[in-house]
Amino acid sequence: MSEKVEKGRSKAAPFIPADSDAAVFLGNPHIDNLMSVVIALGAEIWADRQRLKVVERLLETEGKATTAMVEAYVPTAAEKEAWETERMAMVERVYSVLSRDTSNARPFGEERQF
Amino acid sequence: MINRRSVMGLFAGAASLVAAPFASRAAQRATPRANEMFQTRDDLPPPPKNPENVPGTLAPRGRNGRMERLPEIDLESRMDFLRSVRTFANEVMSPAAGKRADDILASKGISPDTVMPMQDAIALLQDDPVVGARTRAWTSVQQLTWKNIKAECEDNADTYLSEMEAVDNRGPGTLELNPDLEMPDYTRHEIHIQPGGYVGNDFAGHMYDYGTNGFYTGRNDQDALHMTAAFGLPIPADGKVRRILDIGTGIGQLALALKERFPDAEVWGIDVGGPMVRYGHLRAVERGMDVNFAQRLAEDTRFPDNHFDLVTSYIMFHEVSPQGTKDIVNEAFRITRPGGIFYPIDFNLKNPFPRTAYGQYRRWWDHRWNNEVWTIKYRTNGLPDLVRAAGFDLNEEGPVALPRFGVMNATKPA
Ligand SMILES: C[S@@+](CC[C@H](N)C(=O)[O-])C[C@H]1O[C@@H](n2cnc3c(N)ncnc32)[C@H](O)[C@@H]1O
Repeated sequence: MSEKVEKGRSKAAPFIPADSDAAVFLGNPHIDNLMSVVIALGAEIWADRQRLKVVERLLETEGKATTAMVEAYVPTAAEKEAWETERMAMVERVYSVLSRDTSNARPFGEERQF
Repeated sequence: MINRRSVMGLFAGAASLVAAPFASRAAQRATPRANEMFQTRDDLPPPPKNPENVPGTLAPRGRNGRMERLPEIDLESRMDFLRSVRTFANEVMSPAAGKRADDILASKGISPDTVMPMQDAIALLQDDPVVGARTRAWTSVQQLTWKNIKAECEDNADTYLSEMEAVDNRGPGTLELNPDLEMPDYTRHEIHIQPGGYVGNDFAGHMYDYGTNGFYTGRNDQDALHMTAAFGLPIPADGKVRRILDIGTGIGQLALALKERFPDAEVWGIDVGGPMVRYGHLRAVERGMDVNFAQRLAEDTRFPDNHFDLVTSYIMFHEVSPQGTKDIVNEAFRITRPGGIFYPIDFNLKNPFPRTAYGQYRRWWDHRWNNEVWTIKYRTNGLPDLVRAAGFDLNEEGPVALPRFGVMNATKPA
């Protein structure tokens, strides 16, 4: 049960917790943590960028942009699609390096042979 | 889910839901990168229109067709972003990891189509950074998705609870909660690491709705998969569909889709998770749909013998223990009427074992670290045999209710 819900109002039952926090996929739990950090940061940056797009759009069409207006704006289908394309492009720009071939990794102290 | 800025609009739009004529929605769908796994029909009824919510204007955040928009732009944007990273992990990182796995095998002189024991595949691949990065990215996205939606619900717990409480006893459609239900342990896991699982958090339904929409990488935000399934299901030979039950209904997406297809039928959705059906009921009430929800076990539905023309489930069995599976299939047989159909939809069992080392590694990861506790046993548990043993005539050839998923068209002999 969530600790944010008073007992009398809760309809939740006891559950068996997962232990996925114990997973280490990248050899060191801190590196695993860092992946979560960089993805979370990406999401924060995108949220700002998204806001900025809405503000720009509102300034063009309404001449002003208040917080309430930004929250209330309903994008058109074309805008949504354009945003999605841009978001995917950002994701590829930022994260592609994670899939680069690392099989050529060499020890730091090894001299290169020509 | 409530829109805190437009509580007044809660019931708006419900009346606008009438069986709409079929129309091609292909043009409306923005699918920059098709996810191969999720194939939907083009001839589905369009989602209800939300007249208060006109694109390109200022409006209460309100609904977008069948889905309520998240209440704040920042949260919505973060969830959008996580969905994009998930798409990237699926469509760019996975192939890279698969290729890397082949290279690793090749470097050891192993042919890429060698079927090896899961533990051997794990030993070969678990330390590779490219393989690990994909696993890590997907898992991080999964965790961050849950974290975001959970925080939204819990930070506004009173609002979201009040919203459910306001309609618990309101129709159309009924809600039955059984807080003292004795649940088998296998149902109490945090499956796919959803916080609290299906039974243990009051906002399980909210989290499932928005969390799985991320999992579907946006391809189900109008329940297109559930609609595809509902409109693809076979009906009894005598054409009579008066009563329908969806077991393990979750938040009732298939139950609602079935109601859209069979507006005159009595439709029920049951689930072990109280918070799941509670949210399902809220969602049905918001849309003005007469569907009944109950917190009950699929192995003990408490309906009379021979009661239903159609009994369905969607992606439930891969989350059920072997014993539970057997009990549920037998119960489905009991409540299906002679000539009626039982059609559980779930992952295809035609190829129960992954054909590559990377596939084996991923199956293990899904089971162990995405906490899909029962998914490996599901593949080897012989569901088709259990369905036949219960007494059904089973047709595994068709019709295909949902492309890519298994065909399990079982008729109770007349
Ligand atoms: C992956 S979810 C699928 C939910 C829903 N059918 C959908 O369309 O997404 C599996 C559901 O099966 C439910 N479930 C698992 N075992 C059950 C049981 N023995 N009785 C009732 N529901 C069960 C879970 O609580 C969960 O909501």
